Amino acid sequence: MHIPDGFLDNDVALATGVIAAAAVGYGVRRAGRTLDERTVPLLGVTAAFVFAAQMLNFPVAGGTSGHFLGAALAAVLLGPWTATVVLSVVVTAQAFMFADGGITALGANILNMGVIGALAVGGLMLAARRILPRRRSVLLGVTAVGAWSAVMLGALATALQLAASGTVPLGTVVPAMLGVHALIGIGEAAITVTAVAAVLAARPDLIAGAPPAAPAVRHTAIVQEA
Amino acid sequence: MGGGCGHLPAPPTVGGRLRGLDARAKVVGLIGVTIVAVSAPLEAWPTWVACALVLAAVAVAAEARPREIARRAAPVLPPVLFVAAFAPLLSGGRAVASLGPLTVSDHGLRVLAEVGAKATIGTVAAVLLGLTTTFPETLEALRRMRAPRTLTLIAAFMYRYLVTLVDEVRRMRAAMTSRGFRPRSPFAAAVLGRLVAVLFLRSLGRGERVYRAMLSRGYGGQLPAVAVGRLGAADAAFVAVVALALVPARVLAGMAA
Repeated sequence: MHIPDGFLDNDVALATGVIAAAAVGYGVRRAGRTLDERTVPLLGVTAAFVFAAQMLNFPVAGGTSGHFLGAALAAVLLGPWTATVVLSVVVTAQAFMFADGGITALGANILNMGVIGALAVGGLMLAARRILPRRRSVLLGVTAVGAWSAVMLGALATALQLAASGTVPLGTVVPAMLGVHALIGIGEAAITVTAVAAVLAARPDLIAGAPPAAPAVRHTAIVQEA
Repeated sequence: MGGGCGHLPAPPTVGGRLRGLDARAKVVGLIGVTIVAVSAPLEAWPTWVACALVLAAVAVAAEARPREIARRAAPVLPPVLFVAAFAPLLSGGRAVASLGPLTVSDHGLRVLAEVGAKATIGTVAAVLLGLTTTFPETLEALRRMRAPRTLTLIAAFMYRYLVTLVDEVRRMRAAMTSRGFRPRSPFAAAVLGRLVAVLFLRSLGRGERVYRAMLSRGYGGQLPAVAVGRLGAADAAFVAVVALALVPARVLAGMAA
């Protein structure tokens, strides 16, 4: 899903850049309220975790493979705004270290692989906490839907940006991207649900919206440890 | 999908005459090349030639071997060009040729030329930056160019623990493979979730220990800066040469177009 240089026209590159900068800027301020600058080492290690987890690939269909993206998992474990910040660092580092994703498409890539997924999952979790019972099965179900939707929304946003830039026709790129990512999303959801279930068993205090049987401490537990 | 994620970048192996330059000059110069190339439409194609010449000159000055540049661009560029190669067949527009049942459109050829040139220039520029500058140097440059401190600090810690965690993933993956784990469908990926959870909890534990160790050594939110340099004449000259080569080319090509 990394968009390289040249695939976006100047207007789309600029617009996505401004939106991404605003979202990450707000995320930094928002995260700064709960996490002061001294807890940054933890976020750095978490960013390295997302980076390393993205190495995991799985077969999709017809010999192609997809890899884990981690936006939904980061949002469940860290909260949406902190996840946005961490994911933006990961995507930026990929552009600078591996030339993976263009520098001029950085805003679009941060949006598609970070902001959109993290905020969508965050919103979904918040809504679920308000209207659904606090049960393990509910949390895992919401996680599955969230992980799949995060991949699909990111793919849709990528397709729309490419089409708006005139690089590929809308009618071709949208079904192609959504078709492939519907399957990648299944892998993403499977990994995310198993991971959340395992963290829930070992450290329920780390997950906001954990069932009440576990101490319902928000993810600020990370901060308290520090 | 990003094919490059699995491979950690080798540290800069070359640098030649660029090794001593301030990282800020290299970041501004090489990103400048990408931005100028991306901003130019097909009609202003001489701009792309100028960008390519500047990159070639930088590669020569840095004593970067073509083979090394190709090796680093290999995970990224070929898949991109492969996708771009389909543009002439898929895009709408006036048909200019037909290959059996397929038609080649003029708009599609235009997309192929633009995307091919820009993606190649952007990737090579980023590869040259990686070849001549370490990631901590790049970060320090971004920090001193007023990138948000929280972000550069997170990136610095991420870089420090990347190798450790990537190694850990490789070991766990090898352990699963040697016990017969061969996923055949996206559903089978669920097993990897346990690996991810273990990795997360270990990362968290590691982060907490690192943080306490740093506190006990007097950490209060500030990291000692890597060798703080001043921008010198050589740095100014590098940026000026890049700008003098590209800006007139872009303006003239833009007017001619």
